Amino acid sequence: MMSISKKIFSRSLFLFHLGGSACNNCDIEILDALTPKYDLERFGIIAVGSIRHADVILLSGIFNKKSAIRVRRMYEQAPKPVIVLAIGGCACSGLIFQDSYNWDVPVGDYIPIDAYVAGCPPKPEAIIAAITQVVDKLRNPAAAGAD
Amino acid sequence: MGKGEGVIAIAQFLFFPGLVFTAAAGLLTSWFDRKLTARVQMRKGPPLLQPFYDVAKLFVKETCVPEGTLSWFFLSAPLIGVAGVTLASTILCQAMWAPQDIFAGDLIVVMYLLALPSLSMILGAFASQNPLASLGGSREMKLIMAYELPFILVACVPIIAARSIQLADILAAPPVAHQFSGLLALLVALIAMQARLTRVPFDIPEAECELGSGVLIEYSGPPLAMYKLTQAMMLFTGPVFLLVLYAGGIPFSEGWLAAGLGLLKFLSIVTLVVLIRNTAPRLRIDQAMRLLWGPVTLAAIMSLVLVYWGL
Amino acid sequence: MSGAADNHGDETVRQIKSALGERVLDFQQRSPKRIYLEVDAQNITETAAVMSDELRGRLQTASAVDGPQKIEILYHWAFDSIGLVVSVRTRIDREQPEIASITTICPSAHWIEREMWELMGITFAGHPDMRHLLLLDDWPDGKYPLRRDYRKD
Repeated sequence: MMSISKKIFSRSLFLFHLGGSACNNCDIEILDALTPKYDLERFGIIAVGSIRHADVILLSGIFNKKSAIRVRRMYEQAPKPVIVLAIGGCACSGLIFQDSYNWDVPVGDYIPIDAYVAGCPPKPEAIIAAITQVVDKLRNPAAAGAD
Repeated sequence: MGKGEGVIAIAQFLFFPGLVFTAAAGLLTSWFDRKLTARVQMRKGPPLLQPFYDVAKLFVKETCVPEGTLSWFFLSAPLIGVAGVTLASTILCQAMWAPQDIFAGDLIVVMYLLALPSLSMILGAFASQNPLASLGGSREMKLIMAYELPFILVACVPIIAARSIQLADILAAPPVAHQFSGLLALLVALIAMQARLTRVPFDIPEAECELGSGVLIEYSGPPLAMYKLTQAMMLFTGPVFLLVLYAGGIPFSEGWLAAGLGLLKFLSIVTLVVLIRNTAPRLRIDQAMRLLWGPVTLAAIMSLVLVYWGL
Repeated sequence: MSGAADNHGDETVRQIKSALGERVLDFQQRSPKRIYLEVDAQNITETAAVMSDELRGRLQTASAVDGPQKIEILYHWAFDSIGLVVSVRTRIDREQPEIASITTICPSAHWIEREMWELMGITFAGHPDMRHLLLLDDWPDGKYPLRRDYRKD
């Protein structure tokens, strides 16, 4: 029964873009991935405006000490199951802000992240590849190893 | 009404032409909407069963109830809409395909029932304890006031033309869209239907960018699935209602050619709804009210006058 | 258009000079649209009153710099109708950085003075609501990130 629900979940993913204080390049690349050129809707992926409708949370930008607490709150508001993707170097590791006075740990220490998409900014193809990898892992849990 | 007839009636409500049939038809129409939108935007679009996956997926998610609300109220508000549109669709399809089961005043009942989905959205919005939802809910209320006026006016056009208020008589009479007044009435009803379906240019209550999904902002899981299902079913029932009133419905009793033509008419109304949705910008609520109470109502009154003169 | 700006700009410059008079320590017009003044820190409220109320300038923002000897604060007033920006510089001691708040005169200084306090350590006397803006509410006292001697621990 679990696997059927995972398969259904993998066929219809609603994307929610949760931005930290980004320079907006990653935001633009996420926006590009949602344009007709890449047509994510044929995979069942559409963008939604409320965290309560989200199945995939795309984190972009740098999350400092203040906003990381809020991100934790937003993650708790998302109905489970939810997949979290960290888009861009800042969301993955802090990148050039690692020595900043307002940053202490990567946002992965605040909320569980399922996939990291490195890049500054990553191309829409990379973002889509991460989403499809996550979808494959959902559909074939045996092939990808334990959950 | 005997016990057997009661069981048949419940089965009709639940399966055909009730809940299961309307849900399936609505979700398929919703696919048609999304596929046509995709083609207009020069891309491929979702697979046929995508709307079914969307609704099924929402049953896999957990339900979050906001703090400080009446949870039974919050959770049951979506069901009002489902019940309303299912019953309306049952009556309409019965009128088209089993006209022996008529009752007097079924047109009025259908018009009341079609108000329930919008009402359930408002109830859900105010049960959400969220200022953005309240904003969306108040705009939906204004929108209802705006589109119900011209809609009720033009619903009188086929009544006057057929000299009867029963759906079966309206269907039996020649379709009023063949007359000029009927065509005008159909156009007005189309615009009012666009508002009832909260499609662009009238989707201000559920504006994604502006209000973060407005009325539905706090809904998740199965209750949200019920709302999405209601919207899909309205996308089926609304155009069917327009067809029944103005273009003779989708008759299966007169052979396959007439039925195919009816289906084509249905798809062309849905196509019009989708094309308007893809080409129009979103109107502010005051612009929408001014439009619906101004030129649209004027056209509705004109069509009433014309049909009274027999045009 | 720039001709008109020059004429009105000259008129505004004359008005500034006549209203502030002795308080202007330095005056530079580096381009037709940019003027730099220096005033003493204790005259800042009067200067703000002249720029905002008398001359109807709009306080765009303020910037603080940890300079070589002292901390400098620049207040930037814009005169939108003529496209002129006047920057007023004051210098204050790094050991005891205090200056009067101009929030009561220019309400738009409210948040920027909060930011200057928390990041540079400047005390604004008379500010109605001095609390953290960008940093966490429990940020340790006495640690001002944009000072030269700040080290992340």
